[in-house]
Amino acid sequence: MDFDLENPLTISHDFQPETITSLFAIESDHMPSETYLQSLKARNFDISIRREAIASISQLCCNSDDLLLYLAVNYLDRFLSCQGVLQPKPWLIKLLAISCISLASKMKKSEFSLLDVQGDGGIIFDTQTIQRMELMILGALKWRMRSITPFSFMSFVISLFKLEDPPLLHALKARATQIIFKSQKDVELLVFKPSIIAASAVLSASDELLPMQFPCFKKALSNCSYVNKENMLQCYSAMQDIVVDGFDSVLERVCSSFVTPANVLDHTFSSSAESGKTTVTSISTLRLERDLKRRKNSEYCKNHRLQISHEHFQSHKRC
Amino acid sequence: MEKYEKLEKVGEGTYGKVYKAKDKATGQLVALKKTRLEMDEEGVPPTALREVSLLQMLSQSLYIVRLLCVEHVDSKEGKPVLYLVFEYLDTDLKKFIDSHRKGPNPGPMPPSLVQSFMYQLCKGVAHCHSHGVLHRDLKPQNLLLDKERGILKIADLGLGRAFTVPLKSYTHEIVTLWYRAPEVLLGSAHYSTGVDMWSVGCIFAEMARRQALFPGDSEFQQLLHIFRLLGTPSDKQWPGVSSLRDWHVYPQWEPQNLARAVPALEPEGVDLLAKMLKYDPAERISAKAALDHPYFDSLDKSQF
Repeated sequence: MDFDLENPLTISHDFQPETITSLFAIESDHMPSETYLQSLKARNFDISIRREAIASISQLCCNSDDLLLYLAVNYLDRFLSCQGVLQPKPWLIKLLAISCISLASKMKKSEFSLLDVQGDGGIIFDTQTIQRMELMILGALKWRMRSITPFSFMSFVISLFKLEDPPLLHALKARATQIIFKSQKDVELLVFKPSIIAASAVLSASDELLPMQFPCFKKALSNCSYVNKENMLQCYSAMQDIVVDGFDSVLERVCSSFVTPANVLDHTFSSSAESGKTTVTSISTLRLERDLKRRKNSEYCKNHRLQISHEHFQSHKRC
Repeated sequence: MEKYEKLEKVGEGTYGKVYKAKDKATGQLVALKKTRLEMDEEGVPPTALREVSLLQMLSQSLYIVRLLCVEHVDSKEGKPVLYLVFEYLDTDLKKFIDSHRKGPNPGPMPPSLVQSFMYQLCKGVAHCHSHGVLHRDLKPQNLLLDKERGILKIADLGLGRAFTVPLKSYTHEIVTLWYRAPEVLLGSAHYSTGVDMWSVGCIFAEMARRQALFPGDSEFQQLLHIFRLLGTPSDKQWPGVSSLRDWHVYPQWEPQNLARAVPALEPEGVDLLAKMLKYDPAERISAKAALDHPYFDSLDKSQF
C-alpha cells in the first residue's frame, strides 16, 4: 500500500504499459486549477501566503527527504487552489503546513511525528485541531492523495532518450530531479501539467549534461504523442531562469552521485572503449571531466565532497 | 451527513453496514458505507488514508463501483466517523442469477449477456491487478448490476487492513467459501492475482448453470467439491501442492468432463473456464489475457 511518487498508480512493481496512458489521462486531477496562478497574482498577498506556507513546510521537513516536502507542497497548492483565500494569520499558515506534511508523511510511510515537529517552541496544536485540518484538506482534494507529480513521468520521459549508460541515466535523472524540486517554488510554472514539467526538466538537464544530444532529445520529446510540444517548449523556456540559477551546485550533485567521481570517469572510459560504445558516452565524460576540473577548483567542493555524496538528496536543504 | 436521507439498510459490506440513501440536493441515490475508523493520536489513521486514496484511484474505472466522496461526521463522543459514499446500483449478480432460477419466469441467462458480464468482470479485475490490487473476495453478491444499461461493476474491494481482516467479516456473518481458490484453502502463504481468477471462473460457471459450481460449507468440503470435479491435484500438475500447510491425504478422484458441468456453455466458453480453473496458480489465465480469449470474439467490444 505504500505510495511511491515515481510510481503512483500501482502498488506492485511490475511495469504495465497501460499505466502510462492512465497517468497522462488523469494527471490534471492532481494539479492546482487553471485559475490558481491568476488568483495568486491578482492578490499579491496570496503569493506571500503561499511563500510563507512553503517556508514553514520546508522548515518542518528539514530532516526528511525532499520528496516528502514536494508532496506536502503539492497538497498545499491544490488545497489553496480550491479553498480560495486564506486568512493571513501565522497560526493558520502553520497549521496548514503541519497538516500537509502530516498527510504526506502518512502516505509515504515516512518516519515523522507530529509531536517532534511541534517541539520547536512555536505554537502547538492539539491532535483534534490537526485532524480537522487534515480532513478539510482531504475533502478539498477529494481524497486524491496519490498525487501524480512530475516524478511519476520521469522514467518514461528518460526512456524516450534510449540511453544505455547507467551512470549517465543516473546523472540525468539526478539533475532533472533537482530542477523539479526547484521549479515547484516558482509560481510561473504552476500552470504546467506534471508531465510537461518532467519533460522540460529532463530536457534542461540534457542540455547541461549532454549538449550534443540535446537537439535529438528535443525531437524525441516533441514527437511523443502524449506531450504537447508547445507547452513543453514554453515550460522549458520558463524553466531556464531556475536552471541557470542552480547549475553550479548541480555539478557537485551529479558528480557526487557516483561513488568517487574520478573512478567513475575511468570506468566509463574503459567500458566505452571495450564495448565500442559511441559518442554519447565520450561526450558526456568529456563534459563531466571539464565540470570536474571546475569543481575541483572550488574549495567548497574539496571540503564537502564526502558529505555531499552521502546526502545524495539532501545537499540542498533550505535550513 | 444531513446532505443525505437514509432510506434503508441494504446489506453488510466488508466495511460494515451499508445504507441506501438519497442526496437531498440532487436526488441521486447513493450507497453509504459507514467505516469504523478510529482517529488516533496522529490524526487520520495512515492505513485509512492510503486505502481510501487507493480506492479513490481504482474507482475511476467504469467497471469498479465509483467512490463519489468521503464524508465525515462527529460521533456522540466527538470522534469523527468516516462514511464512504458510493454510486448506488439496484441489483447484484446473485439476485440476478436467483431471479433466473426461481423468479416468475425462470430460464437460462441469455448467452450474450453471460458473455458481456464476463467481459466486464475481466476488465474490472484486470484494472485492479494492473494497479497491484487483489480483490480477494469476488463473488456474485459483490458484483453490482445496472440492469437497464447492462453494466456490471465490482464492489467491496477488500483493500483490507484499515477496515477488516478479509477472511472474517465485521458482522460475523458466514463468509462464503464457494469462490475461494484452492491455494488459499490449502493455506498457501503466498498468493497472487490467480486467487481472483479462480473466483472469476466460479462466477462464470455459476452464470451458465444458475447455481454455484462448488457449494462447500467448510474448507474441507470446499476442497472435496473442487477435487471431485477437477480431479485430486498431484505434484506433477501443481508443483508443491502436497507441501502446502493444510494439505492432507485425499481420496483420489479422476478429473470429470468440465463441459458436462456447464452444459449451457459453448465450447470456447468451456475452454476459457478450464483456463481459469487451472490448479497451478501460475498456469491460470490472467484477466488481461482472458480479454483476448476467442470466447469473446463474437462480442462487440466497441461498446466497452
